[in-house]
Amino acid sequence: MQRVVRSGILIITLLGARLAAQEPRKIAIESYTLANGLKVHLVEDHSSQVVAVDVWYRVGARNERPGRTGFAHLFEHMMFQGSAHVKKAEQFQYVERAGGQLNGSTQADRTNYWDLLPSNRLNLGLWLEADRMRSLAIDQANLDNQREAVKEERRLRFDNQPYVGTLVDSIPVIYDREKCFAYGHALVGSMADLNAAKVEDVAAFFKQYYVPNNATLVIVGDFVPADAKALVAEYFGDIPRVAPPPPVVCDQPFNTGAIVRRVTDKNATIPAALMFWRIPPVADTDYPALDLLSTILGGGESSRLNRDIVRESKLAAGAQAILNPTGPTRGPGLFGVLVITNQGRSVDSVAAAVNAQVALVAAKGVTEPELTKARNTWRSNTIMGRQRVLNVAEALQFADLFLGSAEQVNTDIARYNAVTAADVQRVAAKYLRPDNQLTMLIVPEGK
Amino acid sequence: MRTLRNFRRAASLVAALPLGLAAQFPAKAPAATPIKPASFPPFQQATLPNGMRLLVVQSHKQPVVSVSLSFQAGSVYEPAGKAGLADMVASLLTKGAGNRSADEIAAAIEGVGGSIGASAGEDFLGIRADVLASDAKLAFDLVADATIRPTFPEKEVELLRTQTLSSLALDLSQPASLASRAFARGLYGAHPYARRADPASVKSITRDDIVAYHKARVCPSGSLLVVAGDLSLAQARALAMAAFGAWTGTAPAPVTFPAFPVRTAREIVLVHRPGSVQSNIVVGNLTWAPGDPRAYGATIVNRLLGGGADARLFMVLREQKSWTYGAYSSLVRHRQMGDFEATAEVRTEVTDSALVEMLAQLGRVGSEPLPAEEFERTKNALTGAFPLSIESANQVASQVSSARLLGLPADYVPTYRQKLAAVTAAQAQVAAKAMVRPAEALIVVVGDATKLREKLEKIAPVTMVSADGTVLKPEDLVVKAGALDLAMERFVPHTDSFAILVQGNPFGGQSVTLEKVDGGWKFTDATRLAAIIQQSTEVRFTDRLVMQSVHQTGKVQGQDAKIDVTYTDGHAKGSATTPAPGGAKTIAVDTDVPAGVIDDNALQAFFPALKWAAGAKFALPVFQSGKGSVTTVSIAVSGEESVKVVAGTFDAWKADVTGGAAPLTIWIEKGGAHRLLKLALVGTPVEFQLAK
Repeated sequence: MQRVVRSGILIITLLGARLAAQEPRKIAIESYTLANGLKVHLVEDHSSQVVAVDVWYRVGARNERPGRTGFAHLFEHMMFQGSAHVKKAEQFQYVERAGGQLNGSTQADRTNYWDLLPSNRLNLGLWLEADRMRSLAIDQANLDNQREAVKEERRLRFDNQPYVGTLVDSIPVIYDREKCFAYGHALVGSMADLNAAKVEDVAAFFKQYYVPNNATLVIVGDFVPADAKALVAEYFGDIPRVAPPPPVVCDQPFNTGAIVRRVTDKNATIPAALMFWRIPPVADTDYPALDLLSTILGGGESSRLNRDIVRESKLAAGAQAILNPTGPTRGPGLFGVLVITNQGRSVDSVAAAVNAQVALVAAKGVTEPELTKARNTWRSNTIMGRQRVLNVAEALQFADLFLGSAEQVNTDIARYNAVTAADVQRVAAKYLRPDNQLTMLIVPEGK
Repeated sequence: MRTLRNFRRAASLVAALPLGLAAQFPAKAPAATPIKPASFPPFQQATLPNGMRLLVVQSHKQPVVSVSLSFQAGSVYEPAGKAGLADMVASLLTKGAGNRSADEIAAAIEGVGGSIGASAGEDFLGIRADVLASDAKLAFDLVADATIRPTFPEKEVELLRTQTLSSLALDLSQPASLASRAFARGLYGAHPYARRADPASVKSITRDDIVAYHKARVCPSGSLLVVAGDLSLAQARALAMAAFGAWTGTAPAPVTFPAFPVRTAREIVLVHRPGSVQSNIVVGNLTWAPGDPRAYGATIVNRLLGGGADARLFMVLREQKSWTYGAYSSLVRHRQMGDFEATAEVRTEVTDSALVEMLAQLGRVGSEPLPAEEFERTKNALTGAFPLSIESANQVASQVSSARLLGLPADYVPTYRQKLAAVTAAQAQVAAKAMVRPAEALIVVVGDATKLREKLEKIAPVTMVSADGTVLKPEDLVVKAGALDLAMERFVPHTDSFAILVQGNPFGGQSVTLEKVDGGWKFTDATRLAAIIQQSTEVRFTDRLVMQSVHQTGKVQGQDAKIDVTYTDGHAKGSATTPAPGGAKTIAVDTDVPAGVIDDNALQAFFPALKWAAGAKFALPVFQSGKGSVTTVSIAVSGEESVKVVAGTFDAWKADVTGGAAPLTIWIEKGGAHRLLKLALVGTPVEFQLAK
């Protein structure tokens, strides 16, 4: 027993210094821009022999024009179809044979391509990314092939999944297509537009957006900066800059009146409600409070919706909050809630229960323990994510594009630490109001 | 002069290039730069006075800590008949422990933005919590509560049982899962590595079993506590002592396990899945216990053979032959014995060709030299991927602890890449010969045995089994006979009326009655659909549900319909007149029927007696007396929903009925008498709805 008591004292002395709120470790960033406009951020981290090469192009669904929707995503596929020195499918082969991993993804505001490699293959990752930035193979065969792949992806991932198709199609409903086409159309695009896409359109899209002065390259991991800079200069330095793309215009009005739609979903077997409210961009001062509110309402087993609507009143079988379903934005964003009804409960009563919970936050606010939990969740997700170089690279890109500079990766936490319970109540009242809301009542087909 | 001018022009051109000629973009991918010696994060060990082993992997990159604790309490130690027990014990550890309820544990860990979870494998049971370093004490406390003081609330036991049964039902409907179960059963024989949870074993597990298993197997002696992240050994040790120091308990007595089967010839186990359009193939054999030096070479050969989209099995079976959606191989490690297995999912008609090709490819790696380029490329991919597998402290901890739990030496993970890199192609070929032995392989094929049996018998001797492992004889394939598990108490006299709706409009009705008569049952059905169909049917069967007779009279679109069939001793005899485009057709019925067969006109009478449950599937041997043929009608519960019919709104099981005259969707009342509520003819606007 004596040993145990002594251990107790030991803990106090050992941990005494550590009990302050935990912050992510500071990330030291070296940033510069090539003459052709390519932004570069380097973060050295020798704790493992891994390096991440992460390229963000500042193009996404928001840059698409009427009649040309779905291009950003179609283009992401084209980027894996080969370039001057890399044959079709070789992108994967090169990286996998090096023991690495790679992928790409499209969001509303950006398209990313990353390679995670053992550090002795940094040169391979940079060479592959440079080759496709300078010389993508855009031809009819690749276009036809990838157009089909995109349609198949739409069928598998959206049209064949319960609720997802509705989610994708409902987003454009909440935005004003005339005043804000940038966010007022589906990211995946229309089949008609995809069918109409010509090789010249795709080539023009590439020339406009896939250029060094519209891209940011982030390298994180085990490398020597001088070597990395020499490779970046050699591979990317002579890619010509082009005129900047046209600005995106979005004049989205808020609080224009409630929209309620009743839709059938052929893949759903249980009725569900999907609700969205318009919120400001990520950089807005109100955003952190909304982010924390989404955790308080619908993040985890102990969230309000789970506690009250799922477990206590048993109206819903499940509930979750969804913030910005097509990625963070520099324009207006979305605060969403998806609730799936329980056996024998009407979708209207479940939607009403969610609205009551939202109204309760606006009227009475949230508790300190709830706010602390939400902040801890944010902090913990942020810190735990930073154990991997790829996540660090993505965090830098996020800060660079959405917060104004890569350096903000180290200061964003201050915005979250500053949020008070009063702020959460205020943003709930300001944005989560019925006249700023879209409600989709989803019923299974044939019911 | 001209030369000079040209020279000058050339020079000015060079100067105009932003980076000069040296910046010419290389046409070939750059070569790898040298690999640095593996940098492995330091890890330290200690043993606590109560016998717990402590392993600390330090990483100060971010202020995070993960705490994981493993016990020799995997499914291999479950008592016979209680398969699934270890997994249930693991899942329940965080569903009530110390003075916290399941909700309070979730709230405590979510409150600090952390996570906690437990699971059991074949050899080990483990629990793990991830938190920020400032919450390390909470993580230790929760893990200690969960392992030392779980409360196993009855409510949580039953909730978990329901969840386990429904995921099992789903699992058992997947052919890949049936294949893996049959493979384990055949490969490991009497050894408990062969066992898998099934609905019966999960239902038999009591709270007492759970408490007893926890008491016997979850004890400090022999357990492994791994702490990774921003803590020193001294800090980890102090926290561990505070949380676990007072916990004592003796190690469980060593268990003696049955020997592993020795296989000397190739054998095929064919799992019959009637109507399957594709086959799942697993081919493999036992390998060795952990620590075998051939494991390094085998790892390379396995990757070359079936490790991905540019490996041999995939290239040949998918890219060249287009027989399959994917073909892979893997090496499975257990503490006592590992195995090699190659898998492919192929179309039914090419199953035998694909199997022959797989066996040939499996043989080649041991019998032919491995080409240098292919071998080196494969090895490089593996050594290259290694740093990615130990990037974070968590990953290091999990690699080191699984090595330690498997009984591998302390330097196993730190020296892994170096030892892999040192393997030569010749050494790998020797390892391959021992790793994969197609001449004595166990082959499992899950598919339609009626189409596969004869073709597969040309490859190796075939044993046919049903999905639950019962051995089948060729005659069993003709039709699936009897043995239906029915809730006899729900055979009760009743009358139900149905409205027949076409596009939602009433067009007719049906009335069915089940009556008790002398020595058995009489089921009558009167159906009227506008001027199209008027018919009445009477089916008689005994108390033991053996068919006796069916009589039907009526008119369908003006043509006569008439069935008179009598069943005696497994034989159906009579005649059937059914409407046909060129005028009603009469056939003589004179055929053997399997035991337990149900006349298709009486199928509806059997619905209430089926054991309805989420994911349930029933296969009913049905005699189509109008056609004089036997078929298997499959009923599969696809979901549950609230359904509105003329008689009211009910909670219902929704099920797909296939294999009969036409595919149907039916809705069965969830509670009470399991009445048929609604029946829809798939692809038509016709619905029957319960009216009264």
